[in-house]
Amino acid sequence: MADLVLENLTIKYGSVTAVDNLNIHVASGEFLTLLGPSGCGKSTSLFAVAGLNHATSGTIRVGDRVLFDGNPNNTVPPEKRNIGLVFQSYALWPHKTVAENLAFPLTLRKIGRAERDERIKEALGLVEMLPYADRYPFELSGGQQQRVALARALVYRPPLLLLDEPLSNLDAKLRERARVWLRELQERLNVTTIYVTHDQAEALAVSDRIAVMSMGRMRQLGTPREIYERPADSFVADFIGSSNFFDGTMIENGTDKARIRLADGSEIVTPPGAAGKDGSVVVAIRPEKIELSSETGPNTMRVSIDQRTYLGSVWQYAVRSGPIEFRIQTPAELKEDSILVRIPQGHCAVFPDKPGAN
Amino acid sequence: MTDISHPGTAGRGIDRSRAIYWGVAALTTILVFGPITPIIFQAFLDKPLYDDTAVVTLGNFSRLFSEPGMAGVFFNTLYFGALTMIVAQVFGAVMAVLVGRTNLPGRKWLGEIFIWPLFVSNLVIAFGWFTMYGPSGFMTLAAKTYLGGAPWNLYSVTGMGIVAGLSQAPLTYLMCLAAVTKADPLLEDAARSTGAGPFRALFSVTIPMIRPAIIYSAVLNFVVGIEMLAIPLLFGGPSGIQTVTTFLYNAGINAAVRPEYGIVGAAAVILLIVVAFLVWLQGFLMKGAGRFVTVRGKASRPSTLDLGAWRWPAFLFVFAFAFLTIISIFGGIFMRSAVSFLTPLIPFWKVLTTANFEHVLGSANYVRSIVNSVLVATIGAAIGTFFILVIALVARRSDFRHSRALEYIALFPRSLPGIIAGLGFFYAVIWLPGADVIRGTIAVLILAFMIRYIPVGFGAIAPALAQVGEELDRGARISGADWWTTVTRIIVPILKPALFSCYALLFIHFFKEYVTAAFLYQPGSEIIGTTMLQLVAQGDNGPVSALATIQVVITAAFVIIARRVMGAKIYG
Ligand SMILES: Nc1ncnc2c1ncn2[C@@H]1O[C@H](COP(=O)(O)OP(=O)(O)O)[C@@H](O)[C@H]1O
Ligand SMILES: [Mg+2]
Repeated sequence: MADLVLENLTIKYGSVTAVDNLNIHVASGEFLTLLGPSGCGKSTSLFAVAGLNHATSGTIRVGDRVLFDGNPNNTVPPEKRNIGLVFQSYALWPHKTVAENLAFPLTLRKIGRAERDERIKEALGLVEMLPYADRYPFELSGGQQQRVALARALVYRPPLLLLDEPLSNLDAKLRERARVWLRELQERLNVTTIYVTHDQAEALAVSDRIAVMSMGRMRQLGTPREIYERPADSFVADFIGSSNFFDGTMIENGTDKARIRLADGSEIVTPPGAAGKDGSVVVAIRPEKIELSSETGPNTMRVSIDQRTYLGSVWQYAVRSGPIEFRIQTPAELKEDSILVRIPQGHCAVFPDKPGAN
Repeated sequence: MTDISHPGTAGRGIDRSRAIYWGVAALTTILVFGPITPIIFQAFLDKPLYDDTAVVTLGNFSRLFSEPGMAGVFFNTLYFGALTMIVAQVFGAVMAVLVGRTNLPGRKWLGEIFIWPLFVSNLVIAFGWFTMYGPSGFMTLAAKTYLGGAPWNLYSVTGMGIVAGLSQAPLTYLMCLAAVTKADPLLEDAARSTGAGPFRALFSVTIPMIRPAIIYSAVLNFVVGIEMLAIPLLFGGPSGIQTVTTFLYNAGINAAVRPEYGIVGAAAVILLIVVAFLVWLQGFLMKGAGRFVTVRGKASRPSTLDLGAWRWPAFLFVFAFAFLTIISIFGGIFMRSAVSFLTPLIPFWKVLTTANFEHVLGSANYVRSIVNSVLVATIGAAIGTFFILVIALVARRSDFRHSRALEYIALFPRSLPGIIAGLGFFYAVIWLPGADVIRGTIAVLILAFMIRYIPVGFGAIAPALAQVGEELDRGARISGADWWTTVTRIIVPILKPALFSCYALLFIHFFKEYVTAAFLYQPGSEIIGTTMLQLVAQGDNGPVSALATIQVVITAAFVIIARRVMGAKIYG
């Protein structure tokens, strides 16, 4: 297995910069996810690693092998990269059976018949598709096609596996099962993997680390916990899970905490953070982190309940305090019109601007 | 593990894929421009191309324009082209709507009949019209005898234009039919639900939908009219009416006795410019066509419009069109081939004879022309399909830097009239060093036909190629296949049905071609079309109709086999 290094990777299409100065080091055997909204450049980055599109500048290296050194006229063609790739649409060749789909890359590698059959068996066994070896792709369900696509990408034992939204065409239940299964398989094979998805729950569930992207740029790189609990900016806070954003003004910014005045005139204490030029900030707090409180104190506020929504595992309440409107989530069913809530200092994050403004 | 600096792993080495890109691009460029270049040179030289003392001049053009009657020739050409277009558009579009969208009785078999003429050359069609509606044609005599007069005169530019238009109507029909049946009936339903009657809905919603098809085929038919040889030659010749095509043909054929290289070159260049402009105009007019595109992924069942009381009058109208302009034309050719003298005044069986066929089959030259036609079509279509396939793959499915330029060059022959392609190849085999070895062989015919019909084959392959998701190529590349392995092992097998269709279309076009061959054949490499041209000039109508019949029969057999056995899609 090998590690993958992307340095200053930039991909431009005319005046559009699809990928802007990407720097990622994926460790050998790691499962790294590129996460971001549709159109943010995930697939473009992935295909640049595969050699299926041309990077504009930067470096791509797998192990000690340089695949792209910044000169667009001097890239290793995809067929010489020895990388496994699973497409969103699976891209199984319709005129070949499952076994023939898997045989093609092996034949190209001039692997003898006996070993070829052995490897096909092994790969199909891994994805539990052995009984379907002689079927044509159109005779398989979506989930089965997805597994064959994975087997085809693994059958030649590439050191690096790329997956472009492989589960997005499956229905919700199957998707959840498939991602657990996929992660187990990856751990068993210990293959370095880059996984592309726009589904944050999926990313949190399967990844060793997540690179959050927006508009071609990487916003944060970290473990699922880091990404969720310590978002680097308001975009990440908003995109991963969901957050309330309070407008406020920085009163005091210390080394271990900050004081912020909110729009309703109240003051809260938060971790330190950067403020905008005019001192304005936004405070992000997730709905499920806001606590009910029985007594007033620092960081508490009295709010009225505007709306109640039952979400199954929790209740969600739309509440307000003066001009500030936000959501809280709690398993408790609240009958009161007005309640006291506490904004835990440790779960707040302070950013200079709102998501979308940056 | 290799480093990028190693030779062999670098992208831009001369790998075989890149060798193929450049090879195909070079071959296509040479073959397309090879025949045009000498014509352009010749237009600006005062002596024959191969004469070393020739100097550059504009004299050919001034001589061409000062030539008496030349203005008339250009006028005839444009008038003839315009009339061809108008007549073809009106009849073709009306037939398409009636057959494609109404409950016209017999619409299925009438629709089949409408595409027959597309399978045969307009030389055969023109001869059929001559046999039936010429001065002593069957219909003409019948009309004179039983109706007291025949009000048509084919030997005028107007008569020629109407004949050409009626015989081109099937082309318009075919293109409009595709648009009419693909138009989304939901749109019509929507118009009806807002209160429009069925005819109102048809005219205000569906007809505008087929506007792109009408515009496209209009320009096409104008071009066909301008570059048509058969009808002006057969009907204009006797009365001294010339078009640019017949002028080029006569001047070229008589070149041995009256060397007119310069004038011929100049006229050819002008024709080339006009046709190129029209093809450009066609593309320009089609640019905004996107908003009319109503073709949906799933073929929806087109709704049919109830004609009510008009069903039978409409049937009579459509049937009369089919009978008078198609059935009687084919019938006339078949009948003429079986009699010594075709007239409504003598009972058919009294003049029955096998002499026409005996004449054709008894002559080594004529038999050879049939064999050559079959060879050119069979072999040529195979070579052509392969060549066009590789062009399409490089143009549409490779990372070749000049793929767009390659496609432009490959499609340029749309602007290349057959007569000019023939003339150009005629010059080129003399002019290009080494090309002389194929002069007067069927190889040069195959080459010329192939160039001329690249766009036809491309049109059969490219849409099917677009249906093959690019991820299938990408999947193969990342699995370790280079470009050539990817296209041959993954793309081509999926394209098989389209390749059969391409082969069938090329076969039909090669088999019926005659104009392009007119200057290129020599004794030994004659084909059915050129032999017919010769026989027509001699007035040997019996053998001409026998040859035409043989051509039609072979074509019909091929079309049936291609459709049934190969599953090829030919015209719907
Ligand atoms: N071949 C291309 N030509 C022009 N623009 C492209 C091309 N491929 C991708 N882009 C642009 O790059 C951006 C990123 O696309 P992509 O990587 O497909 O996004 P996603 O994150 O959804 O996978 C988009 O704005 C897209 O329009
Ligand atoms: Mg994508």
